[in-house]
Amino acid sequence: MRVPENFLFYLSAHEDCTQRLLARAKGLVAEDLEVSHDAELVRLRKMVSSVQLEVHRMKAFVRLKAFGPHLLYGYLKPRHRIGAHVCDHFARRNPKTIVVLGNGRESWISLCSDGKILRDHTGGIAETLEQLRSNLPCSDERWDPHDIWRIYIDSQYCPLRKNTAAFRRRMPRRDQDATGLRLVQNKNGVTLDDFFGKD
Amino acid sequence: MVTLEKMAHLAQESRFDSLGPAVSIDPEKLGALGEGTRHDVCASTFSPQSPLLPGICHAFAHDGRCVSLFKTLYTNRCGHQCNYCSNATNCSRKTRAFSYTPEELVGITLSLYRSNYIEGLFLSSGSGRNEDCVMEKMVETARILREKHGFNGYIHLKVLPGADRSHIQEAMELADRVSINLEAASASHMNEMSSTKDYESDILQRQRYIRDLMSKANLPAGQTTQLVVGAGKESDEEIFRRVLYEYQEIGVRRAYYSAFSPQKGTPFANREPQPLWREHRLYQMDWLYRIYRFHPQEIEHAFDENGFLQNSDPKMAIARELMDSPVDPNTASYQELLRVPGIGPRSAQRIVALRQRQPVAGKAELASLGVRIKRAAPFLKINGWRDATLEMWST
Repeated sequence: MRVPENFLFYLSAHEDCTQRLLARAKGLVAEDLEVSHDAELVRLRKMVSSVQLEVHRMKAFVRLKAFGPHLLYGYLKPRHRIGAHVCDHFARRNPKTIVVLGNGRESWISLCSDGKILRDHTGGIAETLEQLRSNLPCSDERWDPHDIWRIYIDSQYCPLRKNTAAFRRRMPRRDQDATGLRLVQNKNGVTLDDFFGKD
Repeated sequence: MVTLEKMAHLAQESRFDSLGPAVSIDPEKLGALGEGTRHDVCASTFSPQSPLLPGICHAFAHDGRCVSLFKTLYTNRCGHQCNYCSNATNCSRKTRAFSYTPEELVGITLSLYRSNYIEGLFLSSGSGRNEDCVMEKMVETARILREKHGFNGYIHLKVLPGADRSHIQEAMELADRVSINLEAASASHMNEMSSTKDYESDILQRQRYIRDLMSKANLPAGQTTQLVVGAGKESDEEIFRRVLYEYQEIGVRRAYYSAFSPQKGTPFANREPQPLWREHRLYQMDWLYRIYRFHPQEIEHAFDENGFLQNSDPKMAIARELMDSPVDPNTASYQELLRVPGIGPRSAQRIVALRQRQPVAGKAELASLGVRIKRAAPFLKINGWRDATLEMWST
């Protein structure tokens, strides 16, 4: 079944979720949403699915930059209210490392320490990083992972299998924009470099 | 509220070096050894080793294929004479030989993993001068990642043909998944494809080692295998029989298929490349066996008289052969529903769940449950009604 047991979490994170919709969903179980034909329940199912998909894509597309061994930061501007959830994911993946995700308006900060997640939600990412940098040691000079990635991804290219339709379907422009991926070529596509300047 | 200062303080208590060794990267080496795995198929699979971190970090290459792992060779030096491989000693087009050191690989993997470019490492290799020496280095790489840097990501290690049992055991203790490529569907096809690999002792025996060691080692994502489709001119039915053996006797988690594409300078350079649809149809056949739980005797109906799959959905071909009466979604069992084209495991589950509350009223309801009505309708009878088919008019 596709609707998760904790669907209320995803529903409440949807940008269009209201108190009335939440109250309607509270008495339901996942299976009700899964098999119902009621127009409102179908709408709820689609809302849950939309948030799940965005969470999935944000976890996949966000690219993190390192400032020393203890700080990772990346651009994130999701449509739904999932910033903290995605940030926690990367904190669990990198224990004892502060993870900051955000954009010009807001940022999420998470740290996984001894199995517990500490988190904060504050203003624009530039100010947050400024504060953290003064408390953390600087990095020694390392290679840029993006340069490694470019060489590697080129090495994997099989002309016979070229399928740009599949590429576009799996890496939609909207989700690239939301994570500031450098694949974005248009003028409005904001990348991390636009915030911090190129190294 | 947690202050940023407190977070900064806690972050500096880490006992692992998360950055990895500071080594220089040779772009030419990175490209050449990455290219060596272009035809290796892999996927990061959910690994219960780290239940909090399901493998969902996907990146897609411009050909639409998922590349969520750093997929590379340890070395492209190889002593084997495989007629399809550009790293083989009998390939006339010599490429520069490269090898990583474990520290280099660890550094690259950690760097890409921390930045969320990859979900883990897929490490394969040529046999070098001695396969056991190379296996030792591959295992060493995984050990440094896991033990020195606390790496929780996914690791898939290839077992080299003929590798020593002790190295296989070590690999299994560190990796999420290990695999050894079958390449061919049988010993005779392997003899045609390679003069230096012994199908029975170098490959099948190593797979049995892995199977036997599975009871002791924790290998969360199991063992897999891969075949080069069409290099040895084998039929799809021969591939199917081999894969059945692999699932039933060896216990592989899944088989991967890679359509043969001729490489310049190899003895097979002039052989016809295999169409990508053949690979696709084999995956569909594989899916019918593993996920839909079709009986092998049912699947055999999808092959033509020469043992090949046609470029059409094998499930539809089987349904046309075997389904002599339409299925009523209100009374059919889960297994019967699964045999209808256009109904997959998820929609079959939904139908079963729905009819415990209310009967299925029509096609619109089925469509909302995920059934592909166009495909399914000729095989369905809903509340006594079924779509007209050409066969109805033929008598």
